[in-house]
Amino acid sequence: MSARSLGSAVLLLSAAMLFPAAATAVEVGAAAPSLRAADAAGRELSLQSLRGQVVYVDFWASWCAPCRVAMPHYQRWQQQWAALGFTVLGVNVDTVRADAERALKRAPVSFPVLYDPQGQWAETFALPTMPTAYLIGRDGVIHYIHAGFREQDLPALEARILSLLGVSR
Amino acid sequence: MKSLLISLLLLGAGLASGCTLQPVQPWQRGVLAQSEMAWDVDPLMATQRRQMQVSKEAASGGPTLGGGGCGCN
Repeated sequence: MSARSLGSAVLLLSAAMLFPAAATAVEVGAAAPSLRAADAAGRELSLQSLRGQVVYVDFWASWCAPCRVAMPHYQRWQQQWAALGFTVLGVNVDTVRADAERALKRAPVSFPVLYDPQGQWAETFALPTMPTAYLIGRDGVIHYIHAGFREQDLPALEARILSLLGVSR
Repeated sequence: MKSLLISLLLLGAGLASGCTLQPVQPWQRGVLAQSEMAWDVDPLMATQRRQMQVSKEAASGGPTLGGGGCGCN
């Protein structure tokens, strides 16, 4: 190999190092990214497979206190509105699976929970904070991004979901 | 030869940029919450050590406060 070709190879390599792939933030009005991950049973789930339903994608972790406060409320939503074509999709970002399982044992949920220990989904969605939730309509478009969680946010959140479901209160 | 030198220089710069501090992303903060990331692994032991230091070194506040003082309290 000549010094020139070796040089250009090293140049390419350094360019790749200086400009790492940047994550693009997910915004309201944009189509939800298509991602796949496995649930506790090892079944692959993707946002694509939930198309046609109103999906509330909730990023949570066992070390995040507001996430755990929110869990029972999400479980209630799931029970109340699943028949209307609504589902919560929990995405756990714990690096240790056992931590997540312990948290789920304390607050059991019936909605699907995916495990993203590498933070692949979190990076794609470029979460501004923990927790962050994305309300995705039947058309697969993101309608609302909810950063953080407080119990006083619930009425407004519920109204948004119900309007997407086409239910009037 | 010259291009190789420049390239090597750039490679060095690229490698050095790996040493820059990457901000911790919100979903990575769980790592910071792990016990091994704490200053004191055992909070009870840390309290006792601080108590010991306050009494032996006559520095009220222990290692967390600057300044000396007479040590008479």
